Amino acid sequence: MAESDPDVELVRLAQANDARAFEALVVKYQRRVARHVARYLKSAADVEDAVQETFIRAYRGLAAFRGDSAFYTWLYRIAANVAIRHLKRQPQHLLLGDDAPEERVDAFEPGVSDSEQPERTLIAAQIADTVQRALAKLQPDLAEALLLYEVESKPYAEIATMLGIPIGTVRTRIFRAREFIARRLEPVLGPQRNRRW
Amino acid sequence: MSQKVSALLDGQLAPGEVKDALTETASDAALRDRYTIYGLIGDVLRGNSTPDDAYSARIFERMKREGSRIEPGFDPLRDE
Repeated sequence: MAESDPDVELVRLAQANDARAFEALVVKYQRRVARHVARYLKSAADVEDAVQETFIRAYRGLAAFRGDSAFYTWLYRIAANVAIRHLKRQPQHLLLGDDAPEERVDAFEPGVSDSEQPERTLIAAQIADTVQRALAKLQPDLAEALLLYEVESKPYAEIATMLGIPIGTVRTRIFRAREFIARRLEPVLGPQRNRRW
Repeated sequence: MSQKVSALLDGQLAPGEVKDALTETASDAALRDRYTIYGLIGDVLRGNSTPDDAYSARIFERMKREGSRIEPGFDPLRDE
């Protein structure tokens, strides 16, 4: 396995037929995979189908994953292949070189059409707004640790070095930051509670 | 326990702790919820605007319906 892969243990358990471990990987990466395939596919239905197919193919092929790359890198490649296959099955979505009609070029633009799903767009905006407002109210040392991890992609050990704190404190700060934001998100996410993984 | 869920999401638990954390999380709706929300927060902070689609529930339903299983020799990067 790639040494820096944070998913190494979940992948090992999933390969040993622990379904919960694979479910944890799906829940963790579902939105990132959706975002990735939406760069290729326009309709929400196509994105949905490609997300499902990506994870199902990854599960069926788990034995082939040797850890030469991080799990997400492997998943990302599967998602790209699945999305491209979808395009090939739908010739109207293909870019056809210089002869391609102008309106087809946007098939590779990220994001599914907003007009197709105004309610989803509104909810996404509410979630983003709530997270940003919570972040603004968060204790600065907690916000710093969370942003270094989530936005700057710094590993815990590097954050500990940068901030001059033990790694256990990094873990606690990131948790407290998430919890602070999660409590403010709950009213926005209310109807979906307990329907997630 | 929510702190362990946060560490589980980040791959920060010791190998021996992961299985127990999974067991506790999978059997507790509130912890499963936390795992999902913590992940959602990260996606939002990275600029991925999302309505928190529950893709996962539909993926698990389809896997069950299709009887998906790990298939030795199956290469997910190749066309079938």
